[in-house]
Amino acid sequence: MQIGIYTVGDITPDPVTGRTPTEHERMLAAVALAKKAEEIGLDVFATGEHHNPPFHPSSPPTLLSFIAAQTERIILSTSTTLITTNDPVRLAEDYAVLQHLAEGRVDLILGRGNTGPVYPWFGKDIRDGIALAVENYALLRRLWREEVVTWEGRFRTPLNGFTLVPRPLDEVPPFVWHGSIRAPEIAEQAAYYGDGFFHNNIFWRLAHTQKMVNLYRQRFEHHGHGPADTAIVGLGGQFFMRPNSQDAINEFRPYFDVAPVYGHGPSLEEFTAETPLTVGSPQQVLERTLSFATLMGHYQRQLFLIDHAGLPLKTVLEQLDLLGEILPALRAGFAEGRPAHIPEAPTHASLVAARNAEPAERPVVYDEVTGSSPEAGER
Amino acid sequence: MTTIAVVTAGHSTPSSTHLLGERLADATLTALAGQGVRATAVFLDLRELAADLANQSLTRFAGGRLQDALDRVVQADGVIVVSPIYNGSYSGLFKLFVDALDEGTLAGRPVLLAATGGTPRHSLAIDHAMLPLFYYLKALIAPHPVFAATKDWGAAGGRLEKRVNRAARAFAELVVEARPARGGDEFQVTDFTELLG
Repeated sequence: MQIGIYTVGDITPDPVTGRTPTEHERMLAAVALAKKAEEIGLDVFATGEHHNPPFHPSSPPTLLSFIAAQTERIILSTSTTLITTNDPVRLAEDYAVLQHLAEGRVDLILGRGNTGPVYPWFGKDIRDGIALAVENYALLRRLWREEVVTWEGRFRTPLNGFTLVPRPLDEVPPFVWHGSIRAPEIAEQAAYYGDGFFHNNIFWRLAHTQKMVNLYRQRFEHHGHGPADTAIVGLGGQFFMRPNSQDAINEFRPYFDVAPVYGHGPSLEEFTAETPLTVGSPQQVLERTLSFATLMGHYQRQLFLIDHAGLPLKTVLEQLDLLGEILPALRAGFAEGRPAHIPEAPTHASLVAARNAEPAERPVVYDEVTGSSPEAGER
Repeated sequence: MTTIAVVTAGHSTPSSTHLLGERLADATLTALAGQGVRATAVFLDLRELAADLANQSLTRFAGGRLQDALDRVVQADGVIVVSPIYNGSYSGLFKLFVDALDEGTLAGRPVLLAATGGTPRHSLAIDHAMLPLFYYLKALIAPHPVFAATKDWGAAGGRLEKRVNRAARAFAELVVEARPARGGDEFQVTDFTELLG
């Protein structure tokens, strides 16, 4: 089970102090969070991608490569990478470079994005959202898997004899998750390829998330990747905890009440009752999180949003300390009753091992500079 | 069993808007019974959903009892909608509910329009405000909308009742003929090979 955090990268005034952090501060805070996440034993750090204020992470590969240089173990991911408005060739290049520099500690969660104007800013039309996600990802897969790509589609200029550089590390592309709140087409896309499916699971009812996850699981089996319960599922979630639950509620309420997205709407009590947000003691966060596995089936990745709505870095780091304290219990809880055939989320190492188990499909890579290939070197 | 959803946006209790909804529902059930169709009416008083509607417009998810109300419209064979007329148009509460419906919910679904107002001078609000809205939503609009001014409730000769009955009979005919979809399955999936093209 992978447990980690994901940041939206919002720059929101702290409603308690009235102070707005700078872009610079928020960017460095993301780095601090990632390092802290590794320190307390988390498995994943993911960043959002945005191209408008009040957000800072417009270039996730740059941010993540800086973090990669300062960490050793944690997997770096995205929440989400815009598969609609980014050029798939550019994505293939950026994340192949990152994958090499991070020694394989990279995967991606793809999403369509939810900000209308981003589409026209990048020369696209939001009404093509699903079609863009389908075509761009199909090309991205080929760029990572085929040495020479000749391709023609609707949304970008054709490619004739294009070779991506660098090739993915060990000729194994980063693992891909497809994220969607409510588009069955995206769950279907994840299922078709046998990729992971990620539900952000922070604004909607758990019953809705459950339906999307079930749809993905059924289609995963339909497309021949294995039984539904072996599909690769990731979920979001959000919490605010203090040792005493009333302290957590009192401290978080001013942030909740004016938070972007849900502020000025439902009360904290209504929102915690109806969505996965948990505000309370570490024990409450532990129990609520473990209940996701009961509702969705045994899953592979749990990411938490903890650094939004203007919460100061110091407070967020304290949240990570508290998460670190319940982490062993969280892992034990997820492991309890988990059948042996439920897979872990694929990592670079596991994907390389799986590829090596099928030598017949292994491509031979010939290095034109040195005249050697890894295969030749091994023999 | 045929189901008629009655959406009323009256702001007070008791409400003449709710009362008009009741009269139209009764008359519709009677008209349906006359055609041998057994039907029930489900009343959705938007006043009770006001906070959930405001929250939904911000969070995009239907909390509290709102999801159940939206589902009842999706499952209805016909919908009677009644709004008070404020400043020459339907009320904000009424529009919040319409906006909360999933796209396509009312397409092809029989809808009977009705409104209440202080004086008969507001009666054209149905034609210039409600009609375009429900045309946009591709609803199957019943031919005799009903407007009830305050004075109509005391009018002699059962004139309001006659208008209610005439509207209900035409609406009932649409309900019997239309058989609208009970709401598409939002989790229905197109095989990916088709999406790939």
